[in-house]
This record gives sequence, C-alpha cells and structure tokens, in this order.
Amino acid sequence: MKAGLKVCGMRDAMNIQAVTALHPAYIGFIFYPGSARYVGSVDPELLTSIPATIKTTGVFVNAALEEVKRLIALYQLKAVQLHGAESPEYCAALQPYTEVIKAFGINYSFDFETLTAYEKVTSYFLFDTLTVNHGGSGKRFDWSLLKQYRLNHPYFLSGGIGPDDVNELASIDDKRLHFIDVNSRFEKSPGLKDIELLSTFFTLWNAAPAAKNYNDMNYFVNEKGYYGDFGGAYIPEMLYPNVEELRQHYLEIINAPDFQQEFRALLKDYVGRPSPLYLAKRLSEKYNANIFLKREDLNHTGAHKINNTIGQILLAEKLGKKRIIAETGAGQHGVATATVCALRGLECVVYMGEIDIQRQAPNVARMKMLGAKVVSAVSGSKTLKDATNEAMRDWINNPVDTHYIIGSVVGPHPYPDMVALFQSVISEETKKQLLEQTGNDQPDYVLACVGGGSNAMGMFYHFINDKDVKLIAVEAAGKGVHSGHSAATTALGKEGVLHGSRSILMQTEDGQVIEPYSISAGLDYPGIGPQHAHLFKTTRAEYVSVSDEESLDAGLLLTQLEGIIPAIESAHALAYLEKMEFTGKENVVVCLSGRGDKDMETYMKHFGF
Amino acid sequence: MNRINQLFEKKKNNVLSIYYTAGYPGLGDTVAIAEALEESGADMLEIGFPYSDPVADGPVIQASSKHALDSGMTLDLLFKQLKELRNKVTVPVLLMGYVNPVLQYGVENFCKACAEAGVDGCIVPDLPMYEYEELYQDVFLKYDICNVFLVTPQTSEERIRKIDGLSKGFIYLLSSSATTGQNLQVSDTTSAYFSRIKAMGLKNPTMIGFGISSKETFDKACLYANGGIIGTAFVKSLQSPDPAKGVRSFMEEFTGTVSSLS
Repeated sequence: MKAGLKVCGMRDAMNIQAVTALHPAYIGFIFYPGSARYVGSVDPELLTSIPATIKTTGVFVNAALEEVKRLIALYQLKAVQLHGAESPEYCAALQPYTEVIKAFGINYSFDFETLTAYEKVTSYFLFDTLTVNHGGSGKRFDWSLLKQYRLNHPYFLSGGIGPDDVNELASIDDKRLHFIDVNSRFEKSPGLKDIELLSTFFTLWNAAPAAKNYNDMNYFVNEKGYYGDFGGAYIPEMLYPNVEELRQHYLEIINAPDFQQEFRALLKDYVGRPSPLYLAKRLSEKYNANIFLKREDLNHTGAHKINNTIGQILLAEKLGKKRIIAETGAGQHGVATATVCALRGLECVVYMGEIDIQRQAPNVARMKMLGAKVVSAVSGSKTLKDATNEAMRDWINNPVDTHYIIGSVVGPHPYPDMVALFQSVISEETKKQLLEQTGNDQPDYVLACVGGGSNAMGMFYHFINDKDVKLIAVEAAGKGVHSGHSAATTALGKEGVLHGSRSILMQTEDGQVIEPYSISAGLDYPGIGPQHAHLFKTTRAEYVSVSDEESLDAGLLLTQLEGIIPAIESAHALAYLEKMEFTGKENVVVCLSGRGDKDMETYMKHFGF
Repeated sequence: MNRINQLFEKKKNNVLSIYYTAGYPGLGDTVAIAEALEESGADMLEIGFPYSDPVADGPVIQASSKHALDSGMTLDLLFKQLKELRNKVTVPVLLMGYVNPVLQYGVENFCKACAEAGVDGCIVPDLPMYEYEELYQDVFLKYDICNVFLVTPQTSEERIRKIDGLSKGFIYLLSSSATTGQNLQVSDTTSAYFSRIKAMGLKNPTMIGFGISSKETFDKACLYANGGIIGTAFVKSLQSPDPAKGVRSFMEEFTGTVSSLS
C-alpha cells in the first residue's frame, strides 16, 4: 500500500473545488487564527458538500475544547489535526466525535518517548517540521530522525514537501507512513494552491512504484534493544546501572542540537570529513563496473574508527565521566580512543591482548605517546576477545566515573545502535556524493568487510531500507572457512550470547567461545554485531568470506592500479570484487575502511618486498 | 519444598555457602569436593560450570575455569557427574555460570537436568531480568529451580523490589560492584547499603558474596544478611594435591567461628 495524500490550507471556494477534483484522501482547513492560511468563517456548505470519500480535516492549535467540538459539528469535520500542546486527555475528549490526528514538530531534540502517551487516544500522528508558528515553514525536517520512531502507530509525514520529492517519498519503506501532507510548496500565495503543480504531483505520485519490496521488516533496533531475535543486554547486575544510564540518555544526548553541532564540527575540522567518494577508474576497468571507494582511510588516525570515538567521548563528557576505557585488537580503535582522550584531556586506559601487544608494537607506541595506559590482557587467548573481557571487568570495578568506549557495533544495547549511529555518517555522505556524481543516490552494490562490523554498519546504514541496493558483508575466511583457522562467523557460528548481546558467534557444542583466526587483526573476532546477525538471518545483506591470500592479493592490486595501500581489513572487501560479475553498468561502492601503513610488515613478508 | 527454602526456614543466621568450579582441580573432583564440604559444615554449595569468557570473575576463578575447560569439563559431563550427587550430599546445591552454555544446552534441558540431578537453583549473572521474566521463568518454575539474582550497591530500590518479587530462594548481595576475588571492606557506605537492604524487609533471605575471604569478613556479612558466600578464597585453597584434605583444613578455620556464633 502506498501512502495517500493530504492537501492542506485552502480557503478560496474555487480553489477548494479544484483541489477536491484531484481527490486527495484528506483536505485540511486551518482554524488557527494565527496562521496565514486561516480559513475564517467559511460557509459550512462549502465543506459539507465535499464528497464523503475525502476526509475534511480541521487544523487547530491549543483551541478551547468546546470551540473545537462546535466547529466539528458545524462543518461536519471527519478529522481534527492538533498542532499545539494538546494533552492526551484533550485528544481523548475529542475521539468520540471525530478522527484525531496529533501533530508533533520534529527536530534533533524531539523526544520520541513523548508519543507513547498519545498512541491510544489518536488515530494518527503527524510529523512536521518544528517551528514557532506551529508548522507552515515550507521546510523539511531531517527524515532520518524517524528512525527513532518505534511505535507501530501510523503517521502522516508533513513539512516542506515539494513537487520534486516524489522519488524520495516513494523510497520510504515504512508501512506506518499512511499519508503525505502537502501545503505551502504548492502555492501561488498563502492559502491559494497551484492546481497545476498539485495535479502533476498527484500524477507522478500515483505512477511511482510502491516502495520496493515493501514489507514489514524492521532492520533497526526496537524499544527493548532487539534486532529481531538478536541484541538485548546480557550483562551482570554490576554493569546494569552504567548500561541503563546510557540506554536512557544516548538518543536524547546524541540528537541534541549542541551535541550534533560539536560532533559535526569535529568530524569536519579534526577528522577531515567528508571523506572522498572516489571513482577508481583503473579498478573499474578491470572489473567492468563503476567502482567507488569510500575513503575512510583518509580520516585522521587512518580509519573509520575515529567517527565513533569522537561521538562517544562527547557523550561521555555529557554523562560527566572522567575516565575512559577501551579494548583494542590491532590497536586501531585503541589509537582512535587515545587520540580523542588526548584531544579532550580525559584519562585513558586501553586493554589489549598480550599477543596483540607483541605483534602491533607501533600502535602500542602511538597510544603511549598519546598519554594512554596500555594494559596487557593475559587471560584466555590473550587477544581481542580477552581484551574486551578485561575492559568489561574494569567497568564492573569502576561503576561510577568510567565510560567504556566499545569500538564496534557489539556489546549490550545500546552500544550496537549507538556505534552504528556514529558510523552512519559514512553512508550519509556516500548517498550525497553518489547523487552528485551519478545522479542517483542508490548504487547497485555496497561492500564492506566485517569483523564486529562497525565500518560495514556505517556503510550500510542509510542503504538498509533501499531495497534495490544489494549489501555485501565480507568476513575473513583466514586460511579457509573450514581450515580451523578462520573468522568467518556467519559460516561457522551459531546463535548465542557474547559480550552482552545475543548474536551469532563461533562456539563449541558446549557454548564455549572459539578463538578465531585472520591475518587481519581487525577482523579477528569470534562474533558479529547483533544488527549484522539480523541482516544475515533476514537475508537483507549477503555475508560472504575471502581468505588471507585473496585479501593480500586485492591489497596489492589496489596499490598498483590506484596508488592506494589499503588496510588488510578493507582489502577483504576489495577481494570479493574478484568473485562478482558485472555488465559494465553497475555502480559499486566499497568501503575503504582504513589505510595499510600498519600492515606493511605483513605485506612485505607475504610478497617478499 | 525446595532444599534452599527448607534451609532458610530452619537456619536464619550465619548460613555458610561455598562456591567452587566444577572440574577443578581434578576433572573428577566435583562430587568429592561437595561431599567434603558438607562433612566440614557448609550449609549450601554453589558449583560453577566453567565458561571461556567469564567477565564477572577475577583472576582466580578465571584460572580455575580455564583449567577445568582445558581438562574437558562441559555441562554435559557435569550433569553426568552429578548423577552421584544426591547419594552423597544433602545440603542445597546451586549451579553458577554464564548464560551462553545454558542457551546452547537449551534452557529447558538445563532445568530438567538440574531437577534430575537434585540441583536446587542456579545463578546466571548475565541472564537479564527482562529475558528471565519474559522467556524462561515458566521453565524454571516448572522444574522448581530457584533462579538467584544479584544486587549491587548501585541497584535501585525499585529494581530490588522487582528482583525480590521474581526470586524464590535467596537474593545474592554483592558487597561492592566488583569482579570476584576482591576483599570485603565494610566502610560506612557499604554498611549503609547493607542496612538499607535489611530495612527494606524483603520477602527473600539475603546472602552476601564477593570479597568474603576470612572469618572476620564472613562475620561482618552475617550482621547484615542471613549468611555469606565464599568463592575465590576457597578455590585458592584447592591447589593442594589432596583436595578433600584441602577442603577440611580450609573449613576448620571457618566452621570453628561459625559454630561458636550459632
């Protein structure tokens, strides 16, 4: 089902009749005297003569209840739309008389929790751009904020929708979007609709394909912290207060305008974003497709990890934390964390497996130079998963002043969602850049490597609901998926709980976690984030794997064709291009998540330079 | 009636519970240690089933878990060993461990196996209250397995009330937010926390654990709760070549104090 249309804000008789002839689902009349489109004391006949199949709607702002009831009766209004601070009780009082639509002005600080109280006392919500004049600004709000909307209540989308928005509206794959509300962008003057513009819009809208593969699937986290069967917060009570504090505040903090401003400014001026989207010409020729590289390797500190650590350090400051802990495998996340701690002057402790400390000496030195304390994890297998255990133990023992910056989309809710939100800047930029470069913000394929899965989730995020975009996640097969030396989690794993969330992990029959192997330390993790597990299980994304050898070859190929030395992690994503078939027309985006400087020793050893 | 409830009905003070890891130090020691503990005066036992990634544990229990796993301990093997349990041991027994092995075993299979072996309860620190209540509570109740929840100084009163409502057995009070094996320091804040809980008048008995390593700390714990749980200090003492003898010498010190108090 495609969303229906509502046209709002007429008062001229001829104009009303012309709009009626287009047969929208709703026609709205503004009964708020403060509006430029105030209908005044219009002849009731004009409204009551509108066919019953079109719902006549009265728009009000904080009007007296008795007055609204009087006007419902006088004009036989089929619906009321409330744009003020009307309470749930107010809505409930009107429900016996007419359909109630409660409007909400949305901005970055809007608290979606507010909506719960209105769910039972309204037929619909209407999401509009927040303005002091209760709507009518002609401006859109950031529709991506609706990802925070988690109730099943249907809604109208409103605010600044214009004649050119048909395709974008048609791509919104949300079955709760029942109606689209248009107003000021289709006017000759306030209150007077441009019938020609409206008519074209109606024609285009009716012709547009219904949101592709439109289905009920929600790929994002629900209010309980789950992605389908995965996620949750499987943590001992000692961690509960910390995780609960985060869960209660993360969205409110992240979406606040001052936070966004500071976060965006640091990404721009400190990290160097936006990172380029580069059409790799010689690589494209080789594979017979248009291959775009999202250059996360050009970020400060050399990988995508910094997007998340910048976000989390600002969040930690808002929560009043004084001490930062982190886990690291290869040292990339440790360096990114030590970097932001230096930047903000916070104490930093990084846990790193004893074996990783030995094999990643340059990153250990970088962390120390940045002022971090690097603590060797000597338990278990002495690598990333044990460093994560140690960081969790530290957090248990320091329950008040410490924030744990997890480096991937793993851990208890809200970490997977929070890290994905910070990394989603990757796909946010990519969409804009694709639109500029190709005229279409949807490529045919998006590829990224997956260990825990943070670069992949950032790269997929804004494409997840674009059903025509094929998402490919590349895991590390190590020495071969079934060699016993692999990190191909979806191929080898089963459902279970690791590091606080239910996901897919490599484990024995008895539920003991198996130590993975990959030449790439960043992919050497026995699990994947819960959202990945959900994308895998629902088949929204395809999970594949390539070996050590294949990824090293792909790293060399990119270096020699494009003059870019990729991290071995990112080279896994590139290596999968070799296994794909193209016709020359496809647009393919590969997330080049990090640069290869840290891997020179491995490359040199393998190729004998 | 479940043995845990029976215990607290007849003994309200100085209840001594001992934790140890199944399969440590010897793979086959599980039941022998239980037997020796009961003989030496333990009121209740908590047998740890080992996990590869025990995030709530300090170095001693991590090491005993790793040792047990390396020797071949699994939940399946543990339940086989526990077939002998009720021929030899009468005190209440709980299993303690992490959620993933339980999920792989199957929650229903796990509860059924516990009931068959005569295990009375379990402590799974990373099984959240929400999931327990929504998904698993019915199974635990069906097999009369008491699921024990933890409470820390940071746990809110509202949440403690909720835990009290969901518990049947006892509530495990952590002396501080910490991994296992720290020392209990009864400072003004911890005693205020213990007193606060005592004043709440919970329907379930309480046991204080984490950081109880000596007679002195056990006695302190017993001032505020029905008893105390000793884990790390006991596991440490098992490093002697004859575990049963180790148990007796460890317990002599303790039970001396306990019996003089009771």
